[in-house]
Amino acid sequence: MTLIKKISLVLVSLSLVAVSSVSSAKPFEPKKPIELIIPAGQGGGADEIARLVQGVIEKNDYASKPVIPINKQGGSGGEAMTYVKKKAGDEHTLMITLNNVLTTPTNQPELGIDFFNDFTPLARLITDTFLVWIATEGKNTQGVETFDDFIALAKQGNLVAGGTGSMSEDELLLGMMRGQFGFDAKYVPYSGGGAVAKGLVGGESDFTLNNPSEQMGFYQSGDSKALVMMTPERNSAFPEVPSSYELGYPDLEYYMMRAFMAPAGIDAEVEKYYTGLLHTVYSDNEFQTFNIDDGKLMSWLEGFGLKDFLAIEYEKHAEIIKNFN
Amino acid sequence: MSLVSKFTVKKAEITVAVILALSSLALMIKSMENRITWNTEENMGAGFLPFYLSLGMLICCVLVIINFFLKRTPQSKDESPFIDPEAFKFVSVTLISLIVLVFAIGYLGIYFSLIFFLAFYLRYFSEKSVLFITLFSLITPVLTFLFFEWLLKIPLPQGISEPLFYPVYDFMY
Amino acid sequence: MEVTALLLQGIFTAFEPLNLGLLIFGCLVGLFVGAMPGLGSVNGVAILIPITFIVPPTAAIIFLAAVYYGAMYGGAISSVMLGIPGASTAVATVFDGRPLAVKGEAMTALTAAAVGSFVGGTVSVILFTLFAPPLAEVALRFNAPETFALMVMAFATFVGLGGDDIPKTVFSILIGLALSTIGLDLITGKPRLIFFGMPGFLHGINFLVLAIGIYGIGEMLWTLEETKGKVQMSKLSVNMKEVGKALGALKKTFLAMNIGSFLGFFVGILPAAGATPASLMSYGITKQLSKNSSEFGHGAVAGVVAPETANNSASTGSMLPMLTLGIPGSPTTAILLGGMILWGLTPGPLLFTQEPEFVWGLIGSLYIANFFTLVLNIALIPAFLMVLRIPFAILAPVIFVLCVTGGYAPTQSLHDVWLMLLFGFGGYVLRKLDYPVAPAVLSIVLGPLAENALRQSLILSDGSMGIFFDFTAKPIAAVIMYIAIVLVLMPAFGPIYRKLFKKA
Repeated sequence: MTLIKKISLVLVSLSLVAVSSVSSAKPFEPKKPIELIIPAGQGGGADEIARLVQGVIEKNDYASKPVIPINKQGGSGGEAMTYVKKKAGDEHTLMITLNNVLTTPTNQPELGIDFFNDFTPLARLITDTFLVWIATEGKNTQGVETFDDFIALAKQGNLVAGGTGSMSEDELLLGMMRGQFGFDAKYVPYSGGGAVAKGLVGGESDFTLNNPSEQMGFYQSGDSKALVMMTPERNSAFPEVPSSYELGYPDLEYYMMRAFMAPAGIDAEVEKYYTGLLHTVYSDNEFQTFNIDDGKLMSWLEGFGLKDFLAIEYEKHAEIIKNFN
Repeated sequence: MSLVSKFTVKKAEITVAVILALSSLALMIKSMENRITWNTEENMGAGFLPFYLSLGMLICCVLVIINFFLKRTPQSKDESPFIDPEAFKFVSVTLISLIVLVFAIGYLGIYFSLIFFLAFYLRYFSEKSVLFITLFSLITPVLTFLFFEWLLKIPLPQGISEPLFYPVYDFMY
Repeated sequence: MEVTALLLQGIFTAFEPLNLGLLIFGCLVGLFVGAMPGLGSVNGVAILIPITFIVPPTAAIIFLAAVYYGAMYGGAISSVMLGIPGASTAVATVFDGRPLAVKGEAMTALTAAAVGSFVGGTVSVILFTLFAPPLAEVALRFNAPETFALMVMAFATFVGLGGDDIPKTVFSILIGLALSTIGLDLITGKPRLIFFGMPGFLHGINFLVLAIGIYGIGEMLWTLEETKGKVQMSKLSVNMKEVGKALGALKKTFLAMNIGSFLGFFVGILPAAGATPASLMSYGITKQLSKNSSEFGHGAVAGVVAPETANNSASTGSMLPMLTLGIPGSPTTAILLGGMILWGLTPGPLLFTQEPEFVWGLIGSLYIANFFTLVLNIALIPAFLMVLRIPFAILAPVIFVLCVTGGYAPTQSLHDVWLMLLFGFGGYVLRKLDYPVAPAVLSIVLGPLAENALRQSLILSDGSMGIFFDFTAKPIAAVIMYIAIVLVLMPAFGPIYRKLFKKA
C-alpha cells in the first residue's frame, strides 16, 4: 500500500466520521419511560399483547427505559387515536393497534383523524385469526358437525351471535358472512372477549366469532368447538379445524392485526430505534412460543410493505362499513 | 362580606334547583343526538336511557322547586347565610388555588406546580415556620415523584419541565 | 377426603420461603395501595404484574392475590381516617366509619373493619374450598337477564340509603345513572353525550373521578367551612382497652357478619359483579334488617362491619369464576386473568386438574394471607391513627395532592382532574342543600353494568320486559327480580306496618 493510498484512506474514514457525526449525532435512545397506548380495555387481546411486549422488554432489558402500558379504551379507539395525534413529534409514545384503528376514523368522522398522516406505522408483529365457534352442548346447534351444517341451520332460523360490541371486528365479520351466505342472526354485544366466550358456553348465544385465545380454555376442556378458521391454511394450534380455503370459501378470510404505530412527525432515527426494538421483541423465543401456542400468526412487516398493507386494509374496512350500513 | 351574608340558604336552594333543572333540560337536548325512541326492530336507541334519565332529573328539580314555593323543605325557610361569611375566605381561597394548581399542572408540570401550591397553601393557612413550609413543599413533590414514577411506574404530567427529568430517569433505570 | 389433602398440600406450598415472603410483602403493599385514595386493588395489581415475570406463576399469583386482599383491608383505612373511600369497594365503609372517627372512635371503626374483613375472608375461602367445582356451574348460568335482575336488587337495597327528601334522593340516583351513560354506547357502538366534542368524554366518567371529587375535594371544602381551617382533629389514644372495647362492640354485629360473608361470596362469584356491589348490598340489607337501623349513617359499628366483611368475601369469591371459567368476577380479577395468560396458564375448567399446585397453592395462600393481613392491619393501626394527629392545615393540602394525583393516574388525563374539581364543588354545594350524594356514586358504578345487561336481555327477548319475570325460562332472574321488588316496597310498607302494629 502506498503512502498516498494510506493517507487517502485515513482522510476518507475521517470524513466519514465527520459526516455521520454531523448528520445524526448519535443513534436515538429513549430519555424517559415509553408510553404504550392501548386503544382497548384491560384484559382484552390488544392489552394482552401490549403487556407481553412490556414484559419481554423488561425481563431481557431490551430498552434502557421502561415501557408503560396505558389503556385508553374510550370511543372504540377514538380516544387513543386522538391522544396520539396530539402527541405529534413525541419520541416516547407508541400505540398498539387492533382493527378498530381502521374502522374508527371512518365511523367517527367528527374526531377528525387522518389515518394516513397522523401516525407513523412502525411494524406489524402478529396477525390474530378468527374462528366460528359453537358450544359442544349448544341447545340450538345440536347435530352441527361441520361449517356447512352450521350454514344450513343458520339459514333456517334466528341464531344468536355473541360479539365484542357494535361496529367491532366481529360484527363487521358477521355482516360479511350474512351477505355471503344469506342468513340472518341476532347480534348481542358483550363487554369483552372473555364474556363473549362465557355467553356461548352458558347457552345465551349460539355461535361466536372469537379469536383463539378468547376461547382457548373452553376449547381445551371440550365445552366449545370451532367449525372453521378464516385462513388459507390450517393452524398448528387447532389441527382438526379446517381452513376456509379447504372448505371452498376463499372469500371468508379475516385477520386482526397487532401492529405498532408512533405519532406523526418523528425523526427517522427514532422510527428506526423503535422498529429495531420491536424486531428484537419479535425474535424473542418466549414471545414466539407464546403466540404460536395461542394460534396466532407471526407476521413481521415494516416499511413500505406495512404502509401498503395498511392502505389496502383501510380501504377494505371502509368498504365493509359502507356495505354494512 | 355583606354580599356573602345576603346569599341565604333559601336563595341558594332555588338558584341551585333552577340551575339543575336547566342542566337536565340541556342533557335531554344533548341526548337527542342519538336515537331516543324504542322501536320493535332494535328496541332502545343509544339516547333512550340518557333522555329519560334526564327527564326524570328535570321532574325531580321541578318537584324541588314546587316544594320550595310551598315551603315544605327546611331549606326553603332558612334565612341564614348559605356559606358562613367567616369561612367564605377559606373555601374560596382553597377553590381558587386548586383551579390555579390544575391550570399550572398542564403547563409547568405537576411537580413544580405542587411546590408552589403547597408553599402558598401552608403559608396562608398554617402558622408553621418558613423553614418547615419550604422543606414540606419540596419533600412532598419528591415523594410523589418517587411513589408514582419509580415505585408504581405511572407517569404524571410534566409539561415544560419534562427535559429536567431526563437525567433523573437516566439515573433511575 | 381428597379436598383436604389438596388443601394441605396448598397450604404447604404457600409456606415455602419465597411464597411466604411474597405473601407478606403483598399484604403490606396492598394495605398501602388500598389506603391511598384513588388507588385500589385494580391499580395495585395492574402495576405490579410486570414484577411477577421474574418468579414462578404460583408465587406470582400468591403475591398478587395478597395485594388484592390487602387492598380490601386498606380501603377501609382511608374511608375511616380521611372520609374518602380508598377504593370503590370501600365506599359503603365511609357511611358509618367516618362518623365513628369524627366521634373519636376511629379505633373501634378500624378494629371492626379489620375483624369484619377477617371473618368475611375466612368464611368465603372455606366456602371456596368446599364448593369450587359446583359453584362454577352456577356462575355459568348467570347471563344478561340474571345480571340485570341482580343489579335491580342492588339498586333496591340503595333506596334506604337516601335522606328524607325524596325528590332530591331520586335526583341523586338519576344523575349518577345519567353520568354513567357518557362515553361509548356498547350496544350501538356510537359515542354518546360527548359535551363540546371533548375527547376526554369518550372514555366516560370514571367513578373514581366522581368519588374522589365528592369524598375528597367536596369533603375537604365542607370540613374547611365547618372548622374555619383552625380546628385540629380530635386526638386519640391507642391502647389495649380501646381494642377490647372495640371487640366488645363487635359481638353485636353477628347479623352483619353473616350477611356480609355469605352475600359477599355469592355476589363475588357472579361474573362482572365483584366486591363493590357486594359491599353496598350488604350495607343496605343489614341496615334494613337491623333493629337499630336509625343508627346507620351516624356511626353504627355494624355499618362498618357489613361492607368490610362483604368486600373481602366477594374478592375471594370473584377468583372462583376467574379460575374455573376464565371470566373475571371483578375488574381486579380481569387483570389477574391477564397475568395468568402471560404466565402461560389457561384459565378455564381444566385448570383445577391440570395445574393443581397453582390452584391449591393460591387457595392455601388465601387462608394465610387472611391471618397476616389481620395481624399487620391491627399492628399498624397506631401508624394510621397518626394521620388524625396531623393538623388540618397540613392534612388538607396533602389530601388535595392525593386527590389530584389519584384523579389523574387511572386515565392519565387532565380532563378528569378538571371534572373532579367540578364534581367536588358541585358535591359540596349539593350536600349543603341536603341532596344525598352517596346514591350518585353508587349509581355511576353500577349504571354501565345494569344498562348493558338490560339491553342485552332486550335484544334476546325482542324487546320484551317479560324476560325478567319468566319463572319457567329464566327462574333465577325471576326470583331475584321479585326479591328486588319486595325490597323496594319494604321501606314504603315499613311505616304503614309500624303504624298498624302500634295502633293494634
